[in-house]
Amino acid sequence: MTYSSLAPLILLLPIAGMISISLVPHSIRDKVNFVFVVLIAAITSIPAVKALTGTSIDILIGNNVVFGNISIHIDKLSSWFILIINLTCINGAFYGMGYMKTYGQQKANLSMHWIVFLLFQSSMLWVCMAQNGLAFLIVWELMSISSFLLVIFEHKNNATLRAGINYLVQMHIGVLFLSAAFIWVYFSEGSFEFSAIGKFFSSNPNVWLFFLFFAGFGIKAGFIPLHSWLPQAHPAAPSHISGVMSGVIVKLGIYGILRMVFLLKQDYMVIGEIVITVSLLTGFYGILNASVHRDFKKMLAYCTIENIGIIGIGIGLGLMGIGRGNNALIILGFAGALLHTLNHSLFKSLLFFSAGSVYQQTHTRDMEKLGGLIHRMPQTAMFFLIGGMAIGGLPPFNGFVSEFLLYYAVLLGIKSVGIVYITLMAFSLAGLALIGGISMLTFTKGFGTIFLGSPRTALLRQPEEVSLGMRLPQYFILTIMLSVGLFPGFYFSVVNEIVSGFIPATSSTGMLIPPSLLNGISSIGRFGVLFLLVVVLIYLLRNSFTRKLPVSTGLTWGCGYTAPTPRMQYTGKSFSKSLGKLLHFVIIEKPKYKEISAGEIFPAKRTHSSHYNDFFVTKVIDRIVDRLLYSLNYFKFIQNGNIQLYILYGAFFILLIFLGTIFNFI
Amino acid sequence: MISFILIILVSLFFTGIIVRTKSITSGRKGPGIFQPMKDIFRLFKKGSVYSKTTSFIFQIAPSIYIASIIMAIMVIPLGQYKGIISFDGDFVFFAYVLGTGKFFSIISAMDTGSSFEGMGASREALFSMFAEPAFFILMGSFSLLTGHTSFQEIFASLHFGSYISYILGALATFVLVMITMVENSRMPIDDPKTHLELTMVHEVMILDNSGFDLGMILYATNLKFAMYGALIANLFMGSFPLYLTIPIFFIIQVLFAITVGILESFTARFRMNHNAQYILALSSVSLLIFLGVLLVLKQFS
Repeated sequence: MTYSSLAPLILLLPIAGMISISLVPHSIRDKVNFVFVVLIAAITSIPAVKALTGTSIDILIGNNVVFGNISIHIDKLSSWFILIINLTCINGAFYGMGYMKTYGQQKANLSMHWIVFLLFQSSMLWVCMAQNGLAFLIVWELMSISSFLLVIFEHKNNATLRAGINYLVQMHIGVLFLSAAFIWVYFSEGSFEFSAIGKFFSSNPNVWLFFLFFAGFGIKAGFIPLHSWLPQAHPAAPSHISGVMSGVIVKLGIYGILRMVFLLKQDYMVIGEIVITVSLLTGFYGILNASVHRDFKKMLAYCTIENIGIIGIGIGLGLMGIGRGNNALIILGFAGALLHTLNHSLFKSLLFFSAGSVYQQTHTRDMEKLGGLIHRMPQTAMFFLIGGMAIGGLPPFNGFVSEFLLYYAVLLGIKSVGIVYITLMAFSLAGLALIGGISMLTFTKGFGTIFLGSPRTALLRQPEEVSLGMRLPQYFILTIMLSVGLFPGFYFSVVNEIVSGFIPATSSTGMLIPPSLLNGISSIGRFGVLFLLVVVLIYLLRNSFTRKLPVSTGLTWGCGYTAPTPRMQYTGKSFSKSLGKLLHFVIIEKPKYKEISAGEIFPAKRTHSSHYNDFFVTKVIDRIVDRLLYSLNYFKFIQNGNIQLYILYGAFFILLIFLGTIFNFI
Repeated sequence: MISFILIILVSLFFTGIIVRTKSITSGRKGPGIFQPMKDIFRLFKKGSVYSKTTSFIFQIAPSIYIASIIMAIMVIPLGQYKGIISFDGDFVFFAYVLGTGKFFSIISAMDTGSSFEGMGASREALFSMFAEPAFFILMGSFSLLTGHTSFQEIFASLHFGSYISYILGALATFVLVMITMVENSRMPIDDPKTHLELTMVHEVMILDNSGFDLGMILYATNLKFAMYGALIANLFMGSFPLYLTIPIFFIIQVLFAITVGILESFTARFRMNHNAQYILALSSVSLLIFLGVLLVLKQFS
């Protein structure tokens, strides 16, 4: 069987799936969706695995009237992302079956949801395969629209709809950048093929076109200041969608950036420097905001921004490696970025799924209303705990492996990039450490407030542990996470293989990966196991020592106060308040409170509330938008709701084009 | 292996020396240097009281906390003699495995649902977060200076030659001492003897621990002191043979313990809201070391 016969199947299978979902009874639509998700995953994973282990696969869909030749190309980089997409989508669809049970009455809405889910998965896969600018833009657009439809599942809710439209608009700004970039290449090289971009880069300055692409893909990925859709869209979407979006759709921005990075021909150092700077700021800004928010899905969304920053640091380091011809740095930087992409898609979907379970049981996303859930939902609590530890890069979980690679890359960078960039490297080192520290604060806060202590408010219905169907995919993710954490050698060899394929031939002067490092990477896994063993040993020792000792239970020590209430617990807000206060110029707190005036002898009852605003939204984006709205107000007469006039505009435009061609203006 | 045994040995009397120093400076005779260990052994024999609010997190956290410190101790070398764990980039492992322990000690404090313990947990998270960059820049500078990335290789090839490198050694010692104070929640960041829960950091986090668990946490503190002491001692060992390094190790540990005692006797605790800035300032001292390393390597020519 040749792979060209797979191409129509990859296209037809989702369509078949969409039709069959609409034909089968309501009760099994979610299951049919899952079956098709698995089928699509299987059929795309086969060529992906082949490409990952052997040579890349090229399929040419020839002589299309509109596009010319469309080349479908699955190389090692695409394969890596295809496998991540499939893994996350299968988990998401499985979890979604249980999660969406509560919305069983909204039949039409639910069918739409599952149909779009298939399109969503397929369009993401196509993005990784298309190597033609126009085809790429179309599937990219499909991906944005389908994810938009998934986000606004609860479209009756105004806030959800607003978040969704905000997402849609921002994605189109991204498409604008990308279209401009592709058209630029087309005018210069006469082709929309990706190989033409490579040609463009070899004969023109690289920086400007690259940053046009970077802006376009960066909006998807969520680099600051282009991140503002993330903290709105993620909380609004159903949790399995947030998990998949945060796990993979954001990563396709990274895919795009990496794709362009591997086509670059020069200016590596400048680009690398800028990418690292932006990424460091993104990471720091993301985690700082994550630490203060009380909406736990918003917290996770900001945390995604942080992880994009970490991935970006890896990409930047790899770029500097290319610039300096240091193969070890190239491999470590890009391998760290790729591995962190996988790791983040794992633990972030785990976190979103467990957060979704909490939301399903309690119907609130406000962590200050929760507490003590570990007694009611112990397994969900464990998922969240492990996800939180992994995301902070704590051993023995998978986050540590990729962070270790990045630390090592920075150390290598300090030695090899030269004095001009050395301060940047020192700041990267400190930045990674600081990001790790704040991430620990964020997740101890999140876990402690949601799951520990005693319930802060009386919920209408007592939460219970979620169904097995919702827990299974989380156990599955957990297993993969542990496998990365305990056997990092295997995963490193895979990403090493991917990156080695992209090292430019010119930079073979530097050394390859030193064997001592390979030893170090496998050591992480070994000592992770040792750590687990030591923990178990000490715990068993403790139990055997304390078995005969008397144990009693009592109230929490209230420092002499004997009537504590749950309201007296430390809140999540106060947990991160001191950090927020210290960095008040970045995380802007808006309190609402009327001070007691001087003449007010008997103060009336008053309330105090405060929330945190996004610095870039309030200080930058909103201001620009306000100015724009002010000036655009004068053109309101054009959009007057009169359909006849709109048709006239069209006719007028056609006339203009016609005249233009006659007089040779165009 | 040898470093592991030595650190365990020192941990038995380290806090004893601190207490003794403090007693002497305040004009008392004070208990013997093994008194803290005797207290811990007494705790091991006692039963426990658990709060009704707590969950299994509270039960496993002390074990994980002490396990993380034992893992970290395994990474520490003795001059040119490797620790049990040694690989390229092991100091990242060192810092992060300690992080795992800290993560659990923080959530175990939050497990009790007490406002005081939550407050302590919040402060612990904040302060240790600010101490991280200082440690990493310090190790990054050493790695740049020596060209190695594991503790043992760094310390074995660290030797002082020029005036600048003596200054670097002094600054590095200062940074490590201050990191120890932060990580162990001692003066001037936190006062272990304070009698008011509102002003505590570490002490308030373990208010609800009792019996064996409390004993483990207290012993973990001793281990942590000895561990950082060993790290400082390593700065001065270079590639000396064993009959020199072991005395150096003990002398520096004792000196370090006395220094901590004196520091605690004669300094007042900082204002709580200035602590964060102070700890962050450590990072700038680390940056100074980094620049010094660049000077030594003649990168500015």
